[in-house]
Amino acid sequence: MNDPVEPPSNLRTIPTRKSELVLTFRDPAGQLRLTDFCALRQVWPAAVEETEAFLASPLRKALERSGDLVASRVASAGDHGIVAPGELWLEHPRLDPISYPWEWTTAQWRAAARLTLRIASRAIAAGWTLKDATPLNILFSGSQPVWVDVLSFERRDPRSTVWLAYGQFVRTFLLPLVAERYLGWPLQATLLVRDGYEPAQIYKALPFWRRAHPDLLDVVTLATLAERRRAQPGKSGKPRSVADPELAEHILQKRIARLGKQIRRVAVPQGRSQWSEYAQSASHYQPADIERKKKFVKDVLERVRPARVLDIGANTGTYSLLAAEAGAEVVALDSDAAALEALWRAAKQQKQPITALVANIARPTPAAGWRNREHLSLLDRLSVKFDLVLMLAVIHHLILREQLPLEHIAELAAGLTRRWLVLEWVPPSDPMYQEWLRGRDHLYGHLNEDDLQRAFAPHFDCAAREELENGRILLLLERIPEQGSAAAQAGHPLSEVSRP
Amino acid sequence: MIKKLLLVLPFLLMFVGALMLFERPAYAYADPGSGLLAIQAAGSALVAAGWYLRRKIYALFHRGTAETQSEESQEAPDSQDPPRP
Repeated sequence: MNDPVEPPSNLRTIPTRKSELVLTFRDPAGQLRLTDFCALRQVWPAAVEETEAFLASPLRKALERSGDLVASRVASAGDHGIVAPGELWLEHPRLDPISYPWEWTTAQWRAAARLTLRIASRAIAAGWTLKDATPLNILFSGSQPVWVDVLSFERRDPRSTVWLAYGQFVRTFLLPLVAERYLGWPLQATLLVRDGYEPAQIYKALPFWRRAHPDLLDVVTLATLAERRRAQPGKSGKPRSVADPELAEHILQKRIARLGKQIRRVAVPQGRSQWSEYAQSASHYQPADIERKKKFVKDVLERVRPARVLDIGANTGTYSLLAAEAGAEVVALDSDAAALEALWRAAKQQKQPITALVANIARPTPAAGWRNREHLSLLDRLSVKFDLVLMLAVIHHLILREQLPLEHIAELAAGLTRRWLVLEWVPPSDPMYQEWLRGRDHLYGHLNEDDLQRAFAPHFDCAAREELENGRILLLLERIPEQGSAAAQAGHPLSEVSRP
Repeated sequence: MIKKLLLVLPFLLMFVGALMLFERPAYAYADPGSGLLAIQAAGSALVAAGWYLRRKIYALFHRGTAETQSEESQEAPDSQDPPRP
């Protein structure tokens, strides 16, 4: 299980967002801690032999080489103070930020499911098996899904015809996609369930005629009916074996292939949305203004040379791609899944390091799970991690649709960026502003650039300004270092960013 | 055709019965479910039946071809394995 977190015993002195103290607590094979630079995994004594066998296996090497599995190396006491002699600790690179399945688009779910099945198939062929198969074992490194739980592998009984993680794969991968496709349950709703949906939940919600659908008949209808029968006392399910190992492997591979087919059919690409066509259909932007806006952003990227960029309201990713092409690692946020899916596909096609997250910055993904500390909130994962934050054509959404005061928006931006912010001011005369004003002129109709500058002044200085023909204003703002803040300290990554 | 099917059916039933006999407990980390575990068992039986009977099924639908082939290649009748179903 990747990155579930649990604070240490002294809860009062350790804030939740101290990621150095993150650890797993469900996996009987080990625990995970996150530091600022790596993930450290301790393997419990009972699982050491199995883990060492996996680490020495050709399967592990092949999976790492193909990029499907996160890299591992045995950590020594010399590298990390926490490692005691005689203990087995593994060190993995940090894939930052953590992206949770409830922030993925359908296409990302599909890619993650196919990765899981690919790994399961290769493991079976090599005499191993996956003992769990949940999307929480996968993180996105840019647009690529990566399996991060090295402790998920165990040697399989060559005669067994049962994949014990099959049920978990169905509950946590297939049924959420079924629910999204046929019931309209958003994938974001998986935040509320630890282990996916039960077949009976989906069965109950599906229309009668849909229960006989070839893709749903086994995993929903027959599974529900079998569950009811087995609910009687004395009817316990026992995995089965066959005498011929070749047959056992054949059965398991057929099962994986069937799941692959079901995933392909159920996880269909997102359709169009209001915002997925926005870049092409925006009538308030003339081509000349679009070019000037792109040039402004390109000039900023050239001047600032950011290592990490956050693009808030990234839409289909025009500016995320510009930042990635300039050499930055980008995190792209948008609440419109269809637009973000187009972004993810473009990033994947162009092999750009862009992590796409379906999220609304005004209503960020909350912390979740056990004691609200198993999965981090969006802001805990993003705060003060970016050299440059882009807020292009997003401020009027925050003012008018989210009804947020400018001062609060400035405070949020100051909490996300280490230094730079590019902000597009959309004046009340703008057609989009007018569309959402909806008779609330007395509240928002009077706001102007001075109000914006005044609200941002406690946190930012203005470093550059450009007004477009359509009245929108592009601003490059530089964060004022706070006394004693991490950003103000010498040696902080911020100091490596060249001043313009 | 029906005669052939009736010939195959007892083997199929015997095999499914044999599968039920070979049971052993296993211990999972993830909850294997109960209904979904039963689906796996049923699926295993179907796939296994296909595996064991693939030659018979192949012969059922390719009788003419098989006879022609066996007449043509008397010296090496087993040299061409039928494809897996």
